[in-house]
Amino acid sequence: MILTGLFLGAVLGYVLQRSRFCVTGAFRDLYMTRSARYFTPFLLAIAIQAIGVAALTGAGVIAPEAASFAPLAVIGGGLLFGVGIIMAGGCATGTYYRAGEGLIGSWVALIFYMLFAAVMKFGPLGGFTEAARARTVGDATIQETLGVSVWVPTILFSALVAVLVVRQMRASAARRAGTKSVRLPARRSGLGHYLADIPWNPWVGGVLLGLIAIAAWVLSTAAGRNGGLGITTPSAKIITFLTTGDVTLVDWSVMLVLGILVGSFIAAKLAGEFRWRVPDARTILHSAGGGVAMGVGAALAGGCTIGNSLVETSLFSYQGWVSFAAIMLGTWAAAWFFLVRPQKAAAKNRPAPVLSPAA
Amino acid sequence: MPAYTLQTNGAVCPFPLIDAKSAMEQLTTGDDLIIGFDCTQATDSLPQWAAEDGHEVVAFDRVGEAGWTITVRKGK
Repeated sequence: MILTGLFLGAVLGYVLQRSRFCVTGAFRDLYMTRSARYFTPFLLAIAIQAIGVAALTGAGVIAPEAASFAPLAVIGGGLLFGVGIIMAGGCATGTYYRAGEGLIGSWVALIFYMLFAAVMKFGPLGGFTEAARARTVGDATIQETLGVSVWVPTILFSALVAVLVVRQMRASAARRAGTKSVRLPARRSGLGHYLADIPWNPWVGGVLLGLIAIAAWVLSTAAGRNGGLGITTPSAKIITFLTTGDVTLVDWSVMLVLGILVGSFIAAKLAGEFRWRVPDARTILHSAGGGVAMGVGAALAGGCTIGNSLVETSLFSYQGWVSFAAIMLGTWAAAWFFLVRPQKAAAKNRPAPVLSPAA
Repeated sequence: MPAYTLQTNGAVCPFPLIDAKSAMEQLTTGDDLIIGFDCTQATDSLPQWAAEDGHEVVAFDRVGEAGWTITVRKGK
């Protein structure tokens, strides 16, 4: 039943749109504003998934296989992917859901990302990707190296995340005390107010993302694909299917990524947040370049911020965690180059943004 | 109190926030900055920034489909 992929993808797109969840922003803001507002909820999603996956594996419902670790491909690809998502203004999943909100720049990034993922996986550079990813070393997972059960890293990591979550919640409660919260005027009442009017808090987004990631393992396995959430391979498959007509490429994961577009469009439309938005030429060029870097990087690293930073990390594979770090470093370097450095130069050289007195 | 407008429509995140911060540096305490934007994520990041930097949000509303305006009064 590959159609369950379409449904789960739509739920994922809906949740990401409502919670404004952005992994690129989570990584970037850790460096730019020292804010973990979305970063800790993202770690929470990993922990929830890790617990669910370990339990379901123990019960024999699913049988995840962690990727073998190819350090050069994972580090190089992760760094490149991190640079790409800053240029494109969103990771692969973020780009799918923003495309569903009507952002033309995201469509440009998405098409180049899909195309270059296909070039690297099924196209002329397929041999290069395969050779780079074949240079593996040692064990695939942390628990293999330590010779312990998967529950050891799962529990240690979950405990660490629990501490971070409690600290962050306390700090934000202390900050909020005495200040009135700023809200847009309500446009809907009752259930609709919660579902399609107010934005969802990042914690809600993180918890739901973790639960969706668990459901993905179960539904995908039932549909004959052993895997969890995945974005890059299905993106490459869509391009390859469209250009070759090979219908065997259309699997559960292809339905999943198409579902993200559908779900995010529904969420945005219901909340009055859909509109075709056209960026300037410079933004379009950055989006296209970012898309290329994302496609090449994710293919080499074996996954994006979802496939590696969310899913492989929950299996405690080296590919997952090393790529998590590489992508994050890539976003920091690119945030400095594209966002911080121009600001500093601008402060010296050109007048600040144009301000006009309001009537 | 003087009020100034900053139109960022078409700019994707984090640019509305970056421009708002840099515009705010030119203003003095009590001035209003009226920011127009159409990046959905800024509906979260702009009020968040105002709260953290001690500015007061005096108005926050929608402008048609997928468009917003926020008025931030500069704090000390």
